[in-house]
Amino acid sequence: MQTILSIGIDAFAYGMALFIICIGLSLTMGLMRVVNLAHGAFAMIAGYIASYVARDLGWGYGFAIILAVIGTIILSIPLERFLFRRIYGSSELTQVLMTIGITFCVIGITNYFFGPTLKTIPLPTGLSQPVDVGFRTIAAHRLFVMACGLVVAAGLWYVIERTAFGIKLRATVDNAAMADALGVKTQVVYAVSFALAIGLAAFGGVVGAEFLPIEPYYALRYMVTFLVVVSVGGAGSILGAVIACLVLGAVDTTGRYLMPDFGNFFFYAAVIAIVCVFPRGFFGKAQ
Amino acid sequence: MQTLAQSEKLAAAPSLGSRFLRDAIGIAAIIVAGIAGYFLFPDNLALLTRVIAVGLLVLSIDLITGYCGVATLGQAALFGAGAYAAGIACVNGVTEPLTLILIGAIAGAAAGLLMGTIMLRAHGLAQLVLSIAIVQLFHEAANKASAYTGGSDGLAGLMLSPLFGMFEFDLWGQTAYLFGLALLVVVFVVLKFVVASPFGMLCRGIKEDPVRIGAMGAFVFPVLLKMFVISGAVAGMGGALAAISTQVVGLDSVSFELSANALVMLVLGGLGSLYGALIGTVIFMGFEHVVSAINPFHWMTMVGALLIAVVLALPGGLSSIADAILPSRGRTRGGKA
Amino acid sequence: MSSVKKLLCAAVGALIAGSVSASADTVKVGIIGPFSGPFALQGKNFQAGVEAYMALNGKSVKGHDVEVIYRDLPAANPAQSRALAQELIVKDKVQYLGGVYFTPDALAITPLLKQANAPLVIFNAATSAIMTQSPLVVRTSFTTAQTTTPLGKIAVDRGVKKVVTAVSDYGPGVDAENAFKKAFEAAGGKVVEAIRMPLNTNDFSPIMQRVRDSGAEAVFAFLPSGPTTLGFVKAYNETGLKQAGIKFFAPGDLTQESDLPALGDGALGLLTTFHYAVSHDSPENKRFVEAATKAIGGADQLSFPAVGAFDGMHVIYKMIEATDGKQDAQKAVDAVKGLSWTSPRGPVSIDADTRHITENIYLREVVKGPDGKLINKEIETFANQKDPGLASQ
Repeated sequence: MQTILSIGIDAFAYGMALFIICIGLSLTMGLMRVVNLAHGAFAMIAGYIASYVARDLGWGYGFAIILAVIGTIILSIPLERFLFRRIYGSSELTQVLMTIGITFCVIGITNYFFGPTLKTIPLPTGLSQPVDVGFRTIAAHRLFVMACGLVVAAGLWYVIERTAFGIKLRATVDNAAMADALGVKTQVVYAVSFALAIGLAAFGGVVGAEFLPIEPYYALRYMVTFLVVVSVGGAGSILGAVIACLVLGAVDTTGRYLMPDFGNFFFYAAVIAIVCVFPRGFFGKAQ
Repeated sequence: MQTLAQSEKLAAAPSLGSRFLRDAIGIAAIIVAGIAGYFLFPDNLALLTRVIAVGLLVLSIDLITGYCGVATLGQAALFGAGAYAAGIACVNGVTEPLTLILIGAIAGAAAGLLMGTIMLRAHGLAQLVLSIAIVQLFHEAANKASAYTGGSDGLAGLMLSPLFGMFEFDLWGQTAYLFGLALLVVVFVVLKFVVASPFGMLCRGIKEDPVRIGAMGAFVFPVLLKMFVISGAVAGMGGALAAISTQVVGLDSVSFELSANALVMLVLGGLGSLYGALIGTVIFMGFEHVVSAINPFHWMTMVGALLIAVVLALPGGLSSIADAILPSRGRTRGGKA
Repeated sequence: MSSVKKLLCAAVGALIAGSVSASADTVKVGIIGPFSGPFALQGKNFQAGVEAYMALNGKSVKGHDVEVIYRDLPAANPAQSRALAQELIVKDKVQYLGGVYFTPDALAITPLLKQANAPLVIFNAATSAIMTQSPLVVRTSFTTAQTTTPLGKIAVDRGVKKVVTAVSDYGPGVDAENAFKKAFEAAGGKVVEAIRMPLNTNDFSPIMQRVRDSGAEAVFAFLPSGPTTLGFVKAYNETGLKQAGIKFFAPGDLTQESDLPALGDGALGLLTTFHYAVSHDSPENKRFVEAATKAIGGADQLSFPAVGAFDGMHVIYKMIEATDGKQDAQKAVDAVKGLSWTSPRGPVSIDADTRHITENIYLREVVKGPDGKLINKEIETFANQKDPGLASQ
């Protein structure tokens, strides 16, 4: 029983970390219809900024998160304006080509400026201590990640389902031309959603850095994981992404516990099985 | 209705002739370029052979992505199946190169059958993710079966007998290159016939509108599956060629990275014409080789910039330049996947 | 298509022209390594080692200028490795090949050596079997079995009877597992469980849970350097294994100096065995570290591949000396068989039978150095270790 609880809590933490990083990509792919393979690159940029702020300037973890999110969004504005805007509505493969190109450039440039070593984001003492939760110890940071994941999920749900912006966003997604005709500024809606997605990537990159460490190859190394999570959840669905992250986190963690030698087999077999049963992901909308 | 059909037939007749002419010119151009490569870069034949092997892989992706509209990020599973089958056969005493290519083709076709069966259950993004999952499973299996595949250390010690009993596979790589070139030309000619056949037309039709093709009475799944098998055979031959010319098979030949690179090469060159596949491969690998030789430390930024530039300037891929120059070749291309 | 060829041709032509202009009496050395990609740091270390050697010992041997040509091979890719080696041999006319980070890449080059009449000096690739593939291979790095074997006795000496091994599921990991198991059980210990972890594991908590459940007194680990190592060590600390007194043993790849800043204080007290620590106390190493740090541009990037490259260049210089700049691979290799010298890592020699380096293996503990930075402090020496993987054959 203790073991099951223990595995469960690990799975939950890992799943939530994945969720925070991937939900931004799910929004870009589901709502904006852009296959943004450079998503991880933005998470990585945020990680570098956070590492610089927290480690080299010593300004603390909270500041690091805020500055990383803001800095990454600012950096992404020219990219959105000059590159991404050209590929809205293009074929998926053109989008893949463009965003892989951007990813390569970001990797090359970070490698040049920051070197190929791992970058850490020092945690405040409160988060770096193991906490005793009765049946085992767990890093406080993991509890923090779980809380962040729940907050992000609830917040996003509220924004999309309950606010005026959410209504405009959903209208734009369903029928951009009609929304435009009804007075919704679709360009603005797109720009804001893009910034939101990038901001979430940045937040996830920093908060999830304890699971997926920041280094120049981050964007390529975890690209597959991100894509898998989004498609299993169904692009654009928050609930789907939450469930996908929890299921995949659970499969991954229990697989690695029960039969570590075949951990990968478990994971990818589960992916194939889920996709075959739910071809649009758990909560994907019909195209 | 009848007149319509007739007029279509009339319109089709000259285009059929001109298409043959165009393809004859295209194939001649490949042969000339291949032989020119032999004389212009006599010191880089190993690289050029690698380009041919990867070119076969990219061609195989064009068959299912460009002609059937099924995007895949897992094609290296088929390439690797061919490479490992040829490699294992070679280590176990089958050393005749042509036989090894055949073995690679069969293994690739079998893998293609398996992959198609699974992938065709889904569409769009889910399909893409299935392809990734499959190539990762293949990779894991090759790593696990290290007793047969050498695992991450690679399968070494492939000793080939000379081609036709006369031509050794040696350091200079002339045999390997010319052998590869001949293989490429043969495969290309065969594929041109395949895609021009009624079966090829059916595939294009499915790409445009599967529902309509189904309504016309054709079964979509078996047609696509057949293309997967053909594609697998082509990819498998590419893998076998890589195994023969390198004499080592590594886990990289069943990797997601290779699959992704190959898809990038295809989109770079342009989908759905077979030429685009080869152009994309040559440009991408040539660019990578030259840039990384000039500056081995920062070539990735350059490659990325090239990809972005192509999307901005030539959304249809590099082969669309040729379309612009030769209006007769203008056909819908680089469209939706 | 043809215009593309022309472009390529022009570009490559320019390259050829560039390399031809070098003087006639130049001995060229081709170095293949991961200069870009996820392992770029190791490639940078190759280059730093080579440049440090040439800075300290001059750029010519007996009047023959030495020119080094670098070629980038970002990840294990035998086909590309062979293409690069072929180009270096046929086009650039190198007399010596060096470098090579990954085993399959080395295996792709060995079939070429005889025809090329060129020796291959391996700076890293650490699988025993490479040496048996060609008599023209010399290696100045280590093998995983060589660095791991002393750990068996060390563990037993520290009162550990039951160990769980946790290794990454690939060639070197399996080598490490086997070598440790053999040495540890020969010394009287027992491996209660052998875990092989997929290379792309991100979260190691379930593995730690398994270690804890097994009731072992220590864990033996092997992972490739980089992000996975970081995750593993973190999980070891955070899941309370460290507090529970479960010891941690590993070959030194895990605590390579360039990873230590990222590992942070969590790495304190880890015990590893390896052939080289940047902190090694000797005048030779001091000179080396100074020159190599200058070449690589930052003290915290320096790591073990640099010393393999440094000694590799030493071997190549000796070969050039013995053949007087002429191309004779067999003579060159024969000349360095049995060669011994004092390397930055301590006394070393090239075993005449296996052509693999014989060296000291050190037990090190991660501690805070005098300036507060983490270092691997050598606390015990196992002198003149050969490669057990080759010796047993």
